[in-house]
Amino acid sequence: MTKAAALLLAGSLALAACASDEDGGDAATGSAGGGSEDLKVGVAYDTGGRGDRSFNDSAIAGVEAAIEEHGGDVRDLSPNADASNRVELLTQLADEGYNPIIAVGFAYGDVIGDVVEQYPDTTFAIVDSSVEEIGADNLVGLLFAEEQGSFLAGVAAALKSETKSVGFVGGVETPLIEKFQAGFEAGVEAVDPTVTVTSQYISPAGDFSGFNDPAKGQIVAQGMFDGGADIVYHAAGGSGLGVFQAAAASNGRAIGVDSDQYNTVDDPALQAVIMTSMLKRVDNAVQAFIDSFVEGNVEGGSDVVSNLETEGVGLATTGGFIDDIEADIDEYRQQIIDGEIEVPTTP
Amino acid sequence: MSTVVTSPGTRPSRGPITDLLTGGGPVRRALWLAMAALVLFSVVRAISGEEALTSSSTMSAALLLAVPIGLAALGGLFSERAGVVNIGLEGMMILGTWGAGFAGYQWGWGAALIGGVLFGALGGLLHAVATVTFGVDHVVSGVAINILAAGIARFLSELFYTDNEAGGGVTQSPALSSDPPALSLPVLSSGPDLLGDLEGKHWFLVSDLAGVLRGVSSGVGVLTILAVLLIPASYLLLWRTAFGLRLRSCGENPAAADSLGVPVYRMKYIAVIISGGLAGMGGVFLVFIAGIYRENQTNGRGFIGLAALIFGNWRPGGLAAGAGLFGFSDALQLRSRTAVVALLLLVAVLLAGVAIWQAVRRRLVQAILAGAFAAAALTGFIMIDELPPGIVSFTPHLTTLLVLSLASQRLRMPQADGLVYRRGEH
Repeated sequence: MTKAAALLLAGSLALAACASDEDGGDAATGSAGGGSEDLKVGVAYDTGGRGDRSFNDSAIAGVEAAIEEHGGDVRDLSPNADASNRVELLTQLADEGYNPIIAVGFAYGDVIGDVVEQYPDTTFAIVDSSVEEIGADNLVGLLFAEEQGSFLAGVAAALKSETKSVGFVGGVETPLIEKFQAGFEAGVEAVDPTVTVTSQYISPAGDFSGFNDPAKGQIVAQGMFDGGADIVYHAAGGSGLGVFQAAAASNGRAIGVDSDQYNTVDDPALQAVIMTSMLKRVDNAVQAFIDSFVEGNVEGGSDVVSNLETEGVGLATTGGFIDDIEADIDEYRQQIIDGEIEVPTTP
Repeated sequence: MSTVVTSPGTRPSRGPITDLLTGGGPVRRALWLAMAALVLFSVVRAISGEEALTSSSTMSAALLLAVPIGLAALGGLFSERAGVVNIGLEGMMILGTWGAGFAGYQWGWGAALIGGVLFGALGGLLHAVATVTFGVDHVVSGVAINILAAGIARFLSELFYTDNEAGGGVTQSPALSSDPPALSLPVLSSGPDLLGDLEGKHWFLVSDLAGVLRGVSSGVGVLTILAVLLIPASYLLLWRTAFGLRLRSCGENPAAADSLGVPVYRMKYIAVIISGGLAGMGGVFLVFIAGIYRENQTNGRGFIGLAALIFGNWRPGGLAAGAGLFGFSDALQLRSRTAVVALLLLVAVLLAGVAIWQAVRRRLVQAILAGAFAAAALTGFIMIDELPPGIVSFTPHLTTLLVLSLASQRLRMPQADGLVYRRGEH
């Protein structure tokens, strides 16, 4: 009987293990033509892994574009379900000789400092986390001025709102997501101070369930629509689906985040409510990083910030819902680039 | 005043008022309790001005949050009443979400419901094979199923959803091809929306009642209705039929049941498979809200369901109350941070009532303690404008913990719950 128990456990562990990180190697596209065989890019994904149709897919798209240009090879690893094996993913890639290695997601920020020390000859990049405090020569932070893109989202929302009331749903109350909130609120305020913004988070700092709970996303957004808001902007990862559902049920509209969610949501009923999306061009940033690695001018220990000026952030226009206010948005964009508008990063 | 007739066999009358309040069956007592709660909430709502406390918006959110927990708890009820501890509810729920996503994107919401229940039941079958046939420790098997389910879901997603033309990826399915219908009460909650008008007036008690009623009758999904109906249905099945008696006897004393000709193994199999199906249905509910399967969207609700089951003393009504309490406090904290502070006033009023009650019964120590805590809660309500977010989001857990530690000292699990039964060895 104990044997059966042991078998069951062993089987389950084996299955769980093979389910999470067996997707390496299949992304080596465009490397057939040779080029510099030396380039071996390692990618460690954020929770959700490849195929999340958002953040991770954007990162790998950047890597693939760079490999298209320079040739080479890529190996990508996804964390396990509770994302406890982040260190192992990075060390595994480094041990296998991959260089550079890209860690996708700020959650790697806690562990990457130790890893870069162990592998001084490997160059690392981390998306969404500042590395200036770590100060290692072989580590670059790829940051985004999310507040600038969110400012434009706020502008669009304020111009389009008929009830003079809009909402913001954050996934987890972290400094990163607060940048989205701050930018959005500032954008609304800049257009029309009489428009009220309701901001709410699904879960507090430390509890990351808020990024992956569509049911709660629906409930929080529904509360905003019930309270009179007609446009809700979300920075809540997977919970955003619930925000779209609430918008569809209340004849409201929603603003997506990270990728062009109009293209990734797969459901015509939801496409109809996605007014625009705040784009975060992780692909561009990753590609630019690999370019500079190939050219040998990576500036270690510093952060590279993608902003409106470098088109690292922006608004999606798919669906044509904001075509009529494009001129206004462009005006604000220019003002931010010129420094006439200073967008806050904390609410 | 009518005279109260005491029939032989019932307890002696303690005066007409006490009898009116505590007499009758559990249904009447529950009704009184609900009315008292409504009055209390109306008072607190009127004093604090927190409309979220009894608004229809909060109520419908509470329902949405309570249903998946309640379904998981109901699943646990079947399994544990037959003597099989089911830690694997979470895993069965995960299987349910995957099954619903897979069937739903191809054949619509009806198929999603069947697919989710079927997948959950498969998880239950696995648990039954391990615990009943092979005699594996129930907790070990349950934990294994939780790990296994997450792995299987990821594995199947990789198999079916990557490079799927309909969309989806490793962590999510394509969208459901049809949405489940939602129903509203005609005239009252839709169209003229009389309850909505009434709620908007903010009248004491009347508007509160309207808000509660509108919340549970406006735009309610079919699965919600089904889930609510399953609570009394489970009670009737388990406590009013021969099948239910046999099933429960397997959880109390399987050896005795066996000696009387009850097919213990088969009953346990049936119970655990039903258990998995119900947990899977909880997963389907989550898929219906999101319109999609997403990895980890259960977020531990299966475990909360297990807690609700224990909270409810392994009874359908009790677990529904547990799920409802958790759902309501979760909805409240998601709706309004300031409304959570109003709960302190509620606690103050409740404790003041306890203090007076204890004083009447001459239990001075308890009365003073309750009074002191009531005063502290009241001070908290007056002084605090908004609680820090960490505490606010912890409200549902805290409330459940408080109620559990204060009110439920007499929990009794099924006698043979968690014991491996081997025929002829006992």
